[in-house]
Amino acid sequence: EHNWRFANLYSRGTAYGELYENLGKNIEQMSAGKIKVQVLYSGEGVGSSGILGAVKSGLVTMGAPFQSMHAGELPAGVVEIGLPGGTDDVGELSTLFHEKGWDKVLKEAYGAQGLVWLDPYIQPPVYIITKKPINSVADFKGLKIRAPGAYGKFLRQLGASPVSLAWSEIYTSLSTGVIDGSIGSNMIDHRDGNHVEVAKYMYRLPLAGAQVLPIVVNRSAWNKLTPELQAIVSAATTIHAREQMTKSKLWESQAVAEMEAKGLKWSPEPSAEDKAAWKAAAASLWDEYAKSDKYSAQLIEILKKQ
Amino acid sequence: MITKAIQSYCNAVHHLVDFVGRSVGYIMPLLAFVVVFEVVARYFFDSPTIWAYDLSLFMFGYISALSGAYAQQKRAHINVDILYNHVRPKVRSIFNILSFSIALIFALIIIYMSIDKFYEAIEFNYRRQSEWAPHMHHFWVMMVVACGLLSLQLISDILLNAYFFVTGKKLIPNAPDTEEFTHGN
Amino acid sequence: MGIELLTGVLLLCILVTFAMGAPVGLGLGGIAMIVGYMTWGDGIFNVIPTTLESTFFSFILLAIPLYIYMGQLLTRSGIGDAMFNASQMLIGKIRGSLAISVIVVCSMIGAMVGIIGAGIMTSGSIALKPMLDRGYDKRLALGVIMAGGGLGILIPPSVPMIMFASSTQTSVGRMFIAALIPALITIVLLITYVVVSCKLNPSKAPIGNDAHDEMTPKEKFRTGRDGLFSVLLITAVLGSIITGIATPTESGAIGVAGAVLLAIVFKRFKREIFESAGLSSALLVSVAMWIIFGATVFSNFHLLMGVQNMIAGFTQDLGLPPIGVIIMFQLIMLLLGFIIDEFIIVLICAPLFTPIAVSLGFDPIWFGILMILNIEIAVQTPPYGFALFYLKGIAPPDITMLDIYRSVTPFVLIKLFVLVLCMLFPDIVLWLPNKMMNG
Ligand code: NA
Ligand code: NA
Repeated sequence: EHNWRFANLYSRGTAYGELYENLGKNIEQMSAGKIKVQVLYSGEGVGSSGILGAVKSGLVTMGAPFQSMHAGELPAGVVEIGLPGGTDDVGELSTLFHEKGWDKVLKEAYGAQGLVWLDPYIQPPVYIITKKPINSVADFKGLKIRAPGAYGKFLRQLGASPVSLAWSEIYTSLSTGVIDGSIGSNMIDHRDGNHVEVAKYMYRLPLAGAQVLPIVVNRSAWNKLTPELQAIVSAATTIHAREQMTKSKLWESQAVAEMEAKGLKWSPEPSAEDKAAWKAAAASLWDEYAKSDKYSAQLIEILKKQ
Repeated sequence: MITKAIQSYCNAVHHLVDFVGRSVGYIMPLLAFVVVFEVVARYFFDSPTIWAYDLSLFMFGYISALSGAYAQQKRAHINVDILYNHVRPKVRSIFNILSFSIALIFALIIIYMSIDKFYEAIEFNYRRQSEWAPHMHHFWVMMVVACGLLSLQLISDILLNAYFFVTGKKLIPNAPDTEEFTHGN
Repeated sequence: MGIELLTGVLLLCILVTFAMGAPVGLGLGGIAMIVGYMTWGDGIFNVIPTTLESTFFSFILLAIPLYIYMGQLLTRSGIGDAMFNASQMLIGKIRGSLAISVIVVCSMIGAMVGIIGAGIMTSGSIALKPMLDRGYDKRLALGVIMAGGGLGILIPPSVPMIMFASSTQTSVGRMFIAALIPALITIVLLITYVVVSCKLNPSKAPIGNDAHDEMTPKEKFRTGRDGLFSVLLITAVLGSIITGIATPTESGAIGVAGAVLLAIVFKRFKREIFESAGLSSALLVSVAMWIIFGATVFSNFHLLMGVQNMIAGFTQDLGLPPIGVIIMFQLIMLLLGFIIDEFIIVLICAPLFTPIAVSLGFDPIWFGILMILNIEIAVQTPPYGFALFYLKGIAPPDITMLDIYRSVTPFVLIKLFVLVLCMLFPDIVLWLPNKMMNG
């Protein structure tokens, strides 16, 4: 009855890709075949920065976007995914989203653009890899680091020079020294990009505690579902969120182990002052982000009350 | 009467597209300059800009899209000319009318979608996702202009080919397509 | 409509519009929209904005305008020609020597760029005219540019290799090193082919009319000096990549700055040259980008309809011996070259095929290099191939598509030979990375 297309950012056959495939299968099974889901992987019809727009226009029905790529379309998504300095405590995040009211704000923010926001899931945090060890926060001064958007702003607070590069040029640029370091959207991304071949040192403090990512659905397709079917899709995303949580932890540790086997080293444990400087740099960003639109302002207001 | 109108339409479009096409050539050196500026700022002064990345991409997009009509006028768009070169001029004009119509449909749909995107960009204040976060709306205006010019040029080419098919004569002395065709540079 | 039938309809439409001589990019986009409207409805039009953003805002593709502009400036100021003049002064007595210098220059360009479009259009800008001007057989000249320009993705840096490595979790460094011997074999075979075919058919490559003997010492000095400086420019561009001043994409702009500087130093800088280089580059960039855009709209529509599931279906229950599976993968990728570009082939096939190849006991690096060699062939086999279109864009007006189709045969065979060689003797690929990176 309902033919859905579901776009995600991962390649066919990758570990993460399988999770999205499971979500599609669960929706099909739980709805007894009433909703058929065709999963579209990386490169299959929609570019990575086009997922939000494609869901909005109905080109695809459901999407798992990465909000940093849509910072210009939906600034509140950047606050949602986790600004630098945010928590990685699952309990805290859950309270923030379900009790303190982030869910209401986000439903409205996505809703304003014709999107239905379904319960988000958590992916592991963003880390930064550098060619030289970072012995103290002062070592970031003058380093050229590939870090887009909010992460770039954060690193500038610490004296680094953020650089914009295409993802496929990170490897070459690290190897020749165009840049001194790069963030990866998580440890798995660093491993897949082979960054450890050309940069050895991982900094211990993550840029954002955890990344919270939503599943979004085109509103008119959603409204065509009966309430029962809507409940089924929601339930399937809850199962998916749980799967993401358990699997991500495992895959992250595997990725770290693989990189360590290839020679990954960790920069020394940051001092108390380092941690304080890191926090201060992050906090200074919150006000700036609150200005980007009204939904961001509401989210940050809630965050500050916490 | 109608012939005169067609003739003046085609001439007007020719000049307009020619003017825009020639102007776009001046963006090339600016594009190269922006990229060199970024390299120098980053390598020699350790202070990469936040704007060069998006600005260079915008210029790239402007050049690519806006020259499309000029490329059509110059018959520089790539085609597979194997059968095309060996058919009689009248058959060739039929081929042209058909294929330019397909192209026209494409260009019109791009205009239609770009207008939508423009209003969306204004309504939701769409920007690029970078730290610089420049506005997106002008890009969609540019696309409308680029594909508008392309459509005008395609319509002109369709009219000229149709006139040739009906009368066997050229409406504009140096019109391409019908005998020898000029191409590129 | 089932995906098999839709694929058939789309292929038929491609053939018909191509036969009518439609502009390739606009035609592909138009067909996709018309067929899309009939099978999907007006919702398919939404593929246009997202495709526009993903093609026009691709930083990797920015190499295309920058390198084309560098090539055009070098050609129009005569600096590019100076390089070949100098080489002719030295080795002009050898038949086919110009084509050999062109292959060497193409290899150097291949070491700068990471994508096919920039490789072919830069090589074509600089090196096609000198060969045609000196009376080289046009098929030989076109084929050399096509084969040499295609080295852009085989000689590191290479964007498709980086994409392969990330989607299969293999090492980029290993890939880059593993490609070196196959690239060297390709270059040697290309040069051998040029020498042998010119020996057999001397009219293909006329020897210079002894103009160099009549040159005054002053002229000889100038030719040598200009040639030296233009080689230095290429070296400087390469150097800016290797020393970390610029990324491969940005280094095209370094080349532009260098070309302008050289032209000023040699008093060849004229306003008309500057303007005509800008104008012709803009035109070439537009031609390339409208093809990429139209073709991407076409393939995005096809992918949204699920063609990738059809490909995935082929890989199941094969019942072939391991090497048979590898051969079948190669055939599928060659066929895909009919409908999609180099990046999408890697994006779809690398994650689908590599795990199967590995489970059959093959090395993923070896399989990746086979894939790159294969793509090089796929994009230059008629009737549909991006390399063919780029070359047509850069070629003078009197070169027809048929000339280009005909020119590729011997060079495709050479590349096919290298592919088979690497398939039969994996050590060609694996020996060097194992030697350099183990330990
Ligand atoms: Na290369
Ligand atoms: Na092909």
